[in-house]
Amino acid sequence: MAGTASLRSEPRRAPLARFLAAASGAERVEVAALTRLRGGALQENWALDARFSGGALAGDQRFVLRGSAATGVAGSLTRLQEFAVQKAAFAGGVTVPEPLFASEDPAIFGKPFFIMRRADGIAVPNRITGDEALDPALPALAERLGRELARIHTIRPRRPDLAFLTCTETGPIRQIAGFRAYLDGHPIPRPVLEWGMRWLETHLPPPAEPVLCHRDFRTGNYLLDGGLLTAILDWEFAGWGDPHEDIGWFCCKSWRFARLDREAGGIADRAPFYRGYESQSDRSIDPDRVRFWEVLASVRWAVIALQQTDRHMIGGERDLDLALTGRRATECELELLMLLDPGGNLPDA
Amino acid sequence: MPDLPSGPALLALARDVLLRELMPLLPEERRPDALLVARCMAIAEREAETGESPERELQDLYGAGGDTDELLRRFARELRIGAFENSRDSGARARAILWRLTVAKLRRSNPEFLAANGIDRPGGVVGRAEACRSPVSGKRLTPSPAAKSSL
Repeated sequence: MAGTASLRSEPRRAPLARFLAAASGAERVEVAALTRLRGGALQENWALDARFSGGALAGDQRFVLRGSAATGVAGSLTRLQEFAVQKAAFAGGVTVPEPLFASEDPAIFGKPFFIMRRADGIAVPNRITGDEALDPALPALAERLGRELARIHTIRPRRPDLAFLTCTETGPIRQIAGFRAYLDGHPIPRPVLEWGMRWLETHLPPPAEPVLCHRDFRTGNYLLDGGLLTAILDWEFAGWGDPHEDIGWFCCKSWRFARLDREAGGIADRAPFYRGYESQSDRSIDPDRVRFWEVLASVRWAVIALQQTDRHMIGGERDLDLALTGRRATECELELLMLLDPGGNLPDA
Repeated sequence: MPDLPSGPALLALARDVLLRELMPLLPEERRPDALLVARCMAIAEREAETGESPERELQDLYGAGGDTDELLRRFARELRIGAFENSRDSGARARAILWRLTVAKLRRSNPEFLAANGIDRPGGVVGRAEACRSPVSGKRLTPSPAAKSSL
């Protein structure tokens, strides 16, 4: 998150070192570096370098500590829940940093957190979508991401380790009700979002057999090292749902960044992404369902963007990036109009 | 009447100084923050300058004057319950207002995004994408004749 690292006090390292030693069975742990990472609009991520003497992790280790932000957005998991989801994904063969330890004890870091291994690579969306040197690697990346997403979707309900995820919370009707409840309390009316939600409500697809959806699977939430995928990040919105929700979210225009014309996450056409997905999945992709979820994606991201700015306006997090994010809601509204009224009556300049 | 240069002119000047003179002096890791500051200044500058008030069309729609905020709330409430779906004309009129409200807001807050979507190309700013493709048909979404005339 821009401009905030220097405003927050660095947590004390000694309690963390004691926690790591106890969790790993080490005689002693030295926290050599603890640096706030940029990015992570909702949570705080810290690079943590530690030297373990003895125990299961003996030697030098590079981790990321992920802690809860001061204020949050509705619908996100707690850090311990996110830790459990990430463990399930790791066990399921998804390319995800191995999650190691978690704690809610405020004496250690002042807030709930979990620790995972640190993967190399960049996540910056404008670099991934805008650097022409990466272009030759991107269709294969899209195909790989399709396979990864299909692997995530092999995780199905009735898992005791994921019992906190409930199906109904993330269904489209519940989501629309949540968006409307939020907008009812928002000071600025949003006619385009209301119109978009009305379309969604009158075009609901039949219920789908639920799978684990990442629910923020997009460019910006994976790491790329030399054109190769090294990690899928940010699992805090995960829940059971229609697998097409993740496909629509990945393809929606908000996540295409420098390349609006490349519909699969700004990195490729849809074809390689869909091909990768279908090669690993027992289901085929239904374009009508993707379209429905793509419309919902624009509404959802608009609402999240407004909520992000609420964290600045109402929640007291003084932050330029958060203050500006709400403006992106209007970009989503333009996309809704382009999706649902493509021959629309555009005004003169 | 305020003194000159005007508020928007001062913002434009300050933004220019920030980007051209101060930016190179900043350490690499703080430059993204300076770009955010510049973006805030550009939005404030355009919002202070604009005389557009597309909400006036709402007054025409409802045949009533008065508080545009209240009309906008009414419009949003009615869209939620599908009030304009009974006739083709009222639906088309409502959608035309939605387009105008949205494009007017983006002209102030993010004209580059409009250009990237092939809608406006103000001040020589040209987006990289000509037009987006329909997620369903794969066809390019063609701007309306009104939009074409403004390119």
